[in-house]
Amino acid sequence: MIPSLQRTLWITRVTFLEAVRQRFFAFLMVLGAAMVLSSVSFRVFDFGHGELKFIADFGFGGMFLFGSVLSVVMTAQLFFSEIDNKTALTLLAKPLSRSEFLLGKFFGAWAVLGVFVVVLSGLLGVVMWAREQELVAMAEQAGKVPVTFSASGMVQFALLQWLRLGVVIAIVLTVSALARTFLFAVVVGSLAVVAGQLQWIAQDAVLKPTGSLIYGAFLWLSTRLLPNLQQFNIGDALVLGATGVPAEAVAEVALSGLAYMVAYLFVGTLVFRRREI
Amino acid sequence: MSSAISVRRLTKDFQIGIRGLKLRAVDDLSLEIPRGQVYGLLGPNGCGKSTTLKVVLGLVSATAGEISILGHPSATAEARSRTGFLPEAPYFHKFLSGRELVTYCARLSGVRPSELAAAVEDALGLAAMTDAADRPIGTYSKGMLQRIGFAQAVVHDPELVILDEPTAGVDPVGSAAIGRMIHAMRDKGKTVVLCSHLLGQVEQVCDRVAIMDRGKLVLEGRVEDVLARRDRHVMTIEAMTPAAREAAEAALAAHGARVTSVTHPRRSLEDLFRELVTGSRDA
Amino acid sequence: MRPYYAPGLALLLVVGAGAFSEISWRSVRPSIPEIGRKELEPTLGQGVLLGILGGLRTVVADLTWIRSYVLWERKDRPGCEALMRTACALDPHSRYFWENTGYAIGFDMAHWEIRRRGGYAKVPAETQQRIFQQYARRGIDVLVEGIGHSKAPAPLLLCAAQLAETKLKDHALSVRYYQEAAESPDAPWFAARICANIMWEDGRKAEAYRWFRKYWTERMLPKEDGFPDDLRQLRVMEAGLRLKPEERIPRPTWER
Repeated sequence: MIPSLQRTLWITRVTFLEAVRQRFFAFLMVLGAAMVLSSVSFRVFDFGHGELKFIADFGFGGMFLFGSVLSVVMTAQLFFSEIDNKTALTLLAKPLSRSEFLLGKFFGAWAVLGVFVVVLSGLLGVVMWAREQELVAMAEQAGKVPVTFSASGMVQFALLQWLRLGVVIAIVLTVSALARTFLFAVVVGSLAVVAGQLQWIAQDAVLKPTGSLIYGAFLWLSTRLLPNLQQFNIGDALVLGATGVPAEAVAEVALSGLAYMVAYLFVGTLVFRRREI
Repeated sequence: MSSAISVRRLTKDFQIGIRGLKLRAVDDLSLEIPRGQVYGLLGPNGCGKSTTLKVVLGLVSATAGEISILGHPSATAEARSRTGFLPEAPYFHKFLSGRELVTYCARLSGVRPSELAAAVEDALGLAAMTDAADRPIGTYSKGMLQRIGFAQAVVHDPELVILDEPTAGVDPVGSAAIGRMIHAMRDKGKTVVLCSHLLGQVEQVCDRVAIMDRGKLVLEGRVEDVLARRDRHVMTIEAMTPAAREAAEAALAAHGARVTSVTHPRRSLEDLFRELVTGSRDA
Repeated sequence: MRPYYAPGLALLLVVGAGAFSEISWRSVRPSIPEIGRKELEPTLGQGVLLGILGGLRTVVADLTWIRSYVLWERKDRPGCEALMRTACALDPHSRYFWENTGYAIGFDMAHWEIRRRGGYAKVPAETQQRIFQQYARRGIDVLVEGIGHSKAPAPLLLCAAQLAETKLKDHALSVRYYQEAAESPDAPWFAARICANIMWEDGRKAEAYRWFRKYWTERMLPKEDGFPDDLRQLRVMEAGLRLKPEERIPRPTWER
């Protein structure tokens, strides 16, 4: 294995170990799991959406909400703990490049979010499967067509969420590389997530023709700089939709997520190289 | 043979605030740190010692000047692979054990897997941390933290070791142990750069010193040379009576010498402390 | 890497990623009907933001719907309508929201408007009629939009048909909706009967008989009991049209 990759993997490993030991991670994981499990009790609350959709929405919502909070806060904390405690001094005085350090932080945080997504998706899948079995039996008795969910759609959705959170982590690391304080990084990272979720407004506008060159240019630039995170929220269609989402479309979303990750990590590395520790 | 560290006309300015006011932390500093010696970098707080070290290690960029480490431009991976560094007030991940930390640092420093176990054990042995190596770092005392920090700095057998305030907050027994480790490194042919404002320790441990003040080099040279007062001598006399004293003063006066003071020699509190306290304090 | 290459490359990477993003958004946009809807704009500041941002849309839609009930009690037409439309927009696949929004707008809000203007005694009859029709059309528009999102649209079609029949007094439109309801996969058993009745009452007797007969033969006769009540209605139609025996529906064995 090439030395650079080895060094990055060591940083990844220690970052992962540090992150999973944090109470914050355990707390959000428990909250998310509680949300998924409680959806079965709250289903009597639904107004005819269909129980599986209601349960799925709870799970998707938990993954989105707690996953976003975890990726912003935990990533910033993992970065700034190294800076504030000066462990970064010790590490960067070694033959470890700034890029390797930042990439190691990224992969460590992303791995933790992977665990988070797998646990919640798995739990959601189990809950939905159990309820689906009951609903299928009831539908067969009543002579109706049962509603089912797609397990492969669930897997695809979990992967897309993991990618989305990876994009968020890359953005937060870039902001952290520039920021002086943890609070600033968290605030700006959170705003970036919200802006990313609302980016679809600008992208919808770009798809429509406009007479103004300046307005068009402004839209074009603003849709490029920030990722459209809304495109990852296709859980309903993937898991419960009659026809799902075309594989090409899912691949395109995944590719755009990867492209933004690479781009932001590159920007973050450039910024971090100029930072004085 | 090139110097261990060569600093030529180093200047470092920090920008303060939005208006871009500059604080000059290091001002046209030139130093040559020879190989195989223990070199002390002294100065009051804020004199630019730590900034100089950070520039040397590539943690901070120089505003002007050139720096090389063991013949290579500083801030390159090649230079850093042959350098070990212990920062001031070291802090390490509490959940790692001492051995895990040293292993981690060894891998980052490029120690091969085949040599890893032996290198880690050697470093732990040198730092007298073998017994406590498997405990979480979170349970270590201040002295143990310094020693494990020392171990991670030397695990890859670097030619140059830079220690920033290695004995700050450490008791005299621990300080003496660190002093012995520094001499052990020198005896192996390593170069040790020690940054401190504990003058007593520097005097005991270092071969050469440089004194900085307000970003500038004020004095540089061998410890004996800079401290010695060649115009005076000290004689330690046992069982001297008043009559013997009078005779001795008269004999010296006949040769043109003059006794300016007669006092009883004192041992230092540190020496007394070390004499009284034996063994390691560290639980 | 020279100093100016790196920022240039960074910009290129970000812009390139954005180009990918535009392509992928075009592909997945149809899969997310809940966002980009005008109905959400008035209520964006009222806690709907979370639903738009992602996840929990169903929950937020439910909470919004419950809040709309509070305004329904107060007969706050603009607020109630806005929240109901918001709930529909947040969860467009929920037939319940569309159906009840259509009912509330089409049947209830016209009365609120009349009361707001002074009551039935004060508002002239023509004005009342105009208000009923205005709100009925709005209710039908909501239902038609909901039909577009629903896999089982029969209840929404029935509601639209009722509004057309009772409030708009547009029997042709009502018949059209009843027919669509009857021909939908989840058609209720009574839709065809009502459709035929309305056509008959409208004077489209032959057409009513032809359509109902075809419907009964293809969709009702093969079922469990063959729907004898509907056959009885067809016999009444045959008698009304004075059809010859050979023109009538052949007698099934179970018919009394």
